[in-house]
Amino acid sequence: MKRLSLVVLLFVLLSLTATAQDSVTLTILVEQGGFWLQEAAAAQFEEETGHTVEFVNVPYGSVFDRLSAEMATGGAAFDVATIDVVWMSHFAPFAEPLDDLFTDEVIGDLFSSLVADAQIGGTYIGMPTWANTEIIFYRKDLWEDPDEMAAFEAEYGYPLAPPTTWQEFDDMATFFTRDNDGDGEIDMYGTDVKGGVADFEWMIAVLQAGSPGVVLDADHNIIIDNEAHVAGLEYYISHHCDMDVAPPNVNEIDWGVAENLFYQSQTAMFRFWGHAYRLTRGDSPIADLVGAAPMVAGPGGVGAIPGPWFNIVPKTSENKELALELVQYLYDNNALGIEAPLGLAARKSAYAEYADVEGFENLNPLLQTLDGPQTIGRPAVADWQQIADEILGPIGTDALSCEEDPAELLAWGREQLEAMGYE
Amino acid sequence: MERATLFALVTIIVVVYVFPYAFLVSTSLKPPADALAIPPTILPQRISLENYRNIATFPSVRQSFGNSLTIALLSTLITISLAVPAAYAVARFASLAGKIFLIAVLITRLIPPVSVGIPLFAIMRSLDLTDTHIGVALAHSTISVPLAIWLLASFMEGIPHELEEAARVDGCSRFGALFRIIIPVAAGGIAVTSVFVFLASWNEFLFALLLSSTSVKTAPIAIAEFRTQYGIQWGTMTSLSVLFSFPVIIFSLLMQKRIVAGMTMGAVKG
Repeated sequence: MKRLSLVVLLFVLLSLTATAQDSVTLTILVEQGGFWLQEAAAAQFEEETGHTVEFVNVPYGSVFDRLSAEMATGGAAFDVATIDVVWMSHFAPFAEPLDDLFTDEVIGDLFSSLVADAQIGGTYIGMPTWANTEIIFYRKDLWEDPDEMAAFEAEYGYPLAPPTTWQEFDDMATFFTRDNDGDGEIDMYGTDVKGGVADFEWMIAVLQAGSPGVVLDADHNIIIDNEAHVAGLEYYISHHCDMDVAPPNVNEIDWGVAENLFYQSQTAMFRFWGHAYRLTRGDSPIADLVGAAPMVAGPGGVGAIPGPWFNIVPKTSENKELALELVQYLYDNNALGIEAPLGLAARKSAYAEYADVEGFENLNPLLQTLDGPQTIGRPAVADWQQIADEILGPIGTDALSCEEDPAELLAWGREQLEAMGYE
Repeated sequence: MERATLFALVTIIVVVYVFPYAFLVSTSLKPPADALAIPPTILPQRISLENYRNIATFPSVRQSFGNSLTIALLSTLITISLAVPAAYAVARFASLAGKIFLIAVLITRLIPPVSVGIPLFAIMRSLDLTDTHIGVALAHSTISVPLAIWLLASFMEGIPHELEEAARVDGCSRFGALFRIIIPVAAGGIAVTSVFVFLASWNEFLFALLLSSTSVKTAPIAIAEFRTQYGIQWGTMTSLSVLFSFPVIIFSLLMQKRIVAGMTMGAVKG
């Protein structure tokens, strides 16, 4: 009996030891959004596999710094890293190829811009984990008010509904720009112009104008001075320089300020990242009155710049096989992120699953915008951030002075790009 | 008249120094929607503690404050332990080697920390010290030790040699004289140096970012996490920053007497 007990005890101990040895801790480098959106799927992975997933949550810009340090020292602290699309080229030499994960089924369920962004030099290195983009936010109490509807139709000759084209957007921005109390001051503007993030914002209008890409084409040739770039830049500044339908302090307005202006009823509609719909503050005077619509179309069609994040597996990971398994799992269970605070995903099926659920009215507009014919990612070049900071930002800011000729500014942009080695 | 001018000048200086902090406190007391109001208001239109309540929903923040405190105390201990004997030797022997050493120490202060970040990261990794309190504290000490040696050397130069000589005559060894006579006399200077070293570690961002993962994340990193891709959560960030400043303010107030005494001590050489 004693001997039997000893054998059983040994067996139990050996089993426990074996389990402990098989259980691996996988470390993912994320920023706050990556943590929120993948937490639920990671927890499910832990439950199903017995492995542990540990999130290393750092501030946005520090994802780049931490991973760069890893890359420089050949370290292996992270098995997976969730990175912004703009860093993909930089980390490409450090990332394990993921070609095997991109089956036809996977590619078919991803937005084409994300499939393009996932590859560097023809090799898939990142699996999309979520994709965001700017859509239209508007005040339902204004757009659905019978008096406003009648007045608008009488003035413009078509019914008031969320704008779908540049012309409609301009008409509605003009219509809702008002001095309500007659004191000579504008109390509500039709929209905003975000000069604080000019390097990004005017690119959207460039795509809507019909450009095949922003700044550089697919072969990385300079297109910054093509007709669509000129038209896009002119349209971007027109709300401030020609129509006066936006608050005049454009250079102070970045995404945070623009969001606040809208939620404080100081703008009637604005273009903003789709996730914000689910984060509408309860104490806002328009908390229950926010509507969401797809991004407007310019002459080239509906277009926006996607802001996707990708999971990459560093080549230095000591648990590569398991890390790839986790990346696949996070993709398979992508829809679990939609109930997280940012409410975003990467798969079309994940968005479609929630599109008709109450409280997720932003998802159809997001789907349509991400699927828009002119929704195209930024060029996959390692010096994109430098281009944005040193060329696109100054062009946008100078154009918003309303004293510079957009075509001349873009010609200057070409010179700068040529100086960087582009042709 | 002179007094009035001086008072006005002091008032201006105080306002310039205090305004950013006052605005920080004011923003932390605004409801989140008012934090970015256009036009901005200096004083809150409505007082709200919501930002402070929100902090409770981020449990890792509390842990990060504990980590910051542990690391800052460890870094102060390491730095003072290394800097006191070094400063004593430099001040007491006044040799050419000592002078060269002081210049070399100063040169290390001229190197931007960002340029040594990655080598330091590689060293700590090879020593298996990443994501440990001691690892981050050692990294912080690399910044603080040169400053501490300079400060302490100047304090120790102000201590009369006769004090130490008397101790030696009474049978003290050199180390005995250092610990029994010099350190107690230089306590004010050591206190001032400790405050600076503590503050340097408490506020440091880059090394803490590179060397911490989950276990030892410090408060500056936790606060910076509220700067996301889509903007800055000013309300939560400012409330955390106010809380983050409290220990330093309290510590400085408690040490005020010693700081003042220490500051004047180095000014007159014996």
